[in-house]
Amino acid sequence: MFLVVILVAVLNSGSSSSPPTINTIATIAYSETTSDSTWDKLKGALLNALVFVVVVTAVTFLLVLLFYFRCTHFLKLYMGFSSFIVLLFLGGEIALFLIRKFSVPIDCFTFLVLLFNFAAVGVFAVFLSKMAIIVTQGYLVAIGMLVAYWFTLLPEWTTWVLLVALALYDLAAVLLPVGPLRLLVELAISRDEDIPALVYEARPVINHDQGSGEYEGQRRAWRRRRELGNDSESDHNIGTSDAEVTAPLIQNRVSSVVDGQESSVASTDNSFLEGIGLGSSGAIKLGLGDFIFYSVLVGRAAMYDFMTVYACYLAIIAGLGVTLMLLALYQQALPALPVSIAFGVLFYFLTRLLLEEFVVQCSLNLVMF
Amino acid sequence: MTVAAGIGYALLALGPSLALFVTVISKKPFLILTVLSSTLLWLVSLIVLSGFWRPFLPLNSAASWPFAVLIITSVAFQEGLRLLFWKVYKRLEDMLDAFADRVSKPRLYPTDKMLIALAGGLGHGAAHAVFFCLSVLTPAFGPATFFTDQCSQIPFFLVSSIIALAFATIHTFSMVIAFNGYSEGNKVDQLFVPVVHLVAGMVTLINFTTGGCSIGIPILYIIAILTLLHCGKMVWGKLTENQIRL
Repeated sequence: MFLVVILVAVLNSGSSSSPPTINTIATIAYSETTSDSTWDKLKGALLNALVFVVVVTAVTFLLVLLFYFRCTHFLKLYMGFSSFIVLLFLGGEIALFLIRKFSVPIDCFTFLVLLFNFAAVGVFAVFLSKMAIIVTQGYLVAIGMLVAYWFTLLPEWTTWVLLVALALYDLAAVLLPVGPLRLLVELAISRDEDIPALVYEARPVINHDQGSGEYEGQRRAWRRRRELGNDSESDHNIGTSDAEVTAPLIQNRVSSVVDGQESSVASTDNSFLEGIGLGSSGAIKLGLGDFIFYSVLVGRAAMYDFMTVYACYLAIIAGLGVTLMLLALYQQALPALPVSIAFGVLFYFLTRLLLEEFVVQCSLNLVMF
Repeated sequence: MTVAAGIGYALLALGPSLALFVTVISKKPFLILTVLSSTLLWLVSLIVLSGFWRPFLPLNSAASWPFAVLIITSVAFQEGLRLLFWKVYKRLEDMLDAFADRVSKPRLYPTDKMLIALAGGLGHGAAHAVFFCLSVLTPAFGPATFFTDQCSQIPFFLVSSIIALAFATIHTFSMVIAFNGYSEGNKVDQLFVPVVHLVAGMVTLINFTTGGCSIGIPILYIIAILTLLHCGKMVWGKLTENQIRL
């Protein structure tokens, strides 16, 4: 999230006033321009978000179907392919922006070779995790960052409405009995397989280990595809240059080492015992999609001002804490998006409307409390 | 004035807090949670206050009395929240003690309690520094700097960072004093904290007059050092009386 903020800050400080209009599926219904009235913008944004959610639902159902028919090999191949595309094209575009901004002297061929290698290593790191964990994590972070940055290039109203719509969709998809994500989780549990998903596994503190979580990449990888049409610049008419998002789930799954359900309740209690406690091996997994949308939220907040960034950061962490508590309470797969996004959006608007005026007034006159 | 200066200002305001965080707090995850929740609480209080004051802004910056009212209301609200924080903490402490009894581990030591109070205060102080100083620091990363009329000798950002540092110190340690005061029913300590907070807030009003900050800031630092000393004395007393339990 922090990296997305930096990226946004660097790249937006020099950009022109009108952002490039991207022809993506997210704006297929309506392209927002700054001259439209508020009501038009709202309607357009809603339409965009609706289209997006519908597409996502359809694709998720498709994936559930594939999983049901045990086409996991196909899924894995497909995901490898799409993550390669993401790293290659989106990463390349962003690298080009950066090169232009900082006037890095590099020639075409070196750049292409480096980029290709980067993408290839990325695919291997994520899917055949025989590499050091830090490499895998690094690549997962990079992928998340790239996708998040691209989302922030959408027009403003669309982004906010989209976030809210996705949070609602997430809520529905995981909790409703007919929701695709819930079906997926139940299928995986009934077959006693690990859900092959692109997730972070957060391990709680074990004895004297430092920090409140360590991340590990997951062994098998699975991604839910999101159709993101190409931007105006690229001439490759791939049309559906895919951007990856994983199932935005938090699930409380056991790591393969220990049998039985060691719940995450033990882990939170351990942290209460302030480091004297026992370490449990229950793992909390968070999907990459969640991180992407948090980063989108924070990145969008960064486009306004840094105060909103801090407020949203805190709000998201608070939402995450609440979600983890609920997870400990309910012991089933929960959607990770809604609470954090709700807090994030709420705090963003509150900060922008109320707080900023207040704080700027006070600090400019050097009046503080 | 360039990235280096920007980072410098940020570190000036947050450096000691960061040092405290890394050495003391990052070892224990519960303290990290405490810091985060107290930061969040401070942010919420700030939002509520700004919501309340929004219709009256922008204030006429020449007159200082509206700001005085602003400060009084804000400090009162935040002290009220501190009391609330204390009550929540009390309930949490009971829960933790009960849990510790259940798994037959030792209860919370006084040092643990003080560490929790410190973490809470650090959250408040860090939130103050972040929202009052860091958020207006963004232009400092660019090529120029900014001076205000009232304090024309040093750049605005530097003044802001210095004040933020003083306040962060005050917040951090007054939380420890406050918790101790509430737990022991010590009236002096209980009153010490709101009074200090209010005085510190009022002192910043001096910054309104031209050249005022050369008086205001040293006074602020005297208050911060006073808070530190009082806290140190109190902690020392508590540690020596419970020497066995360390």
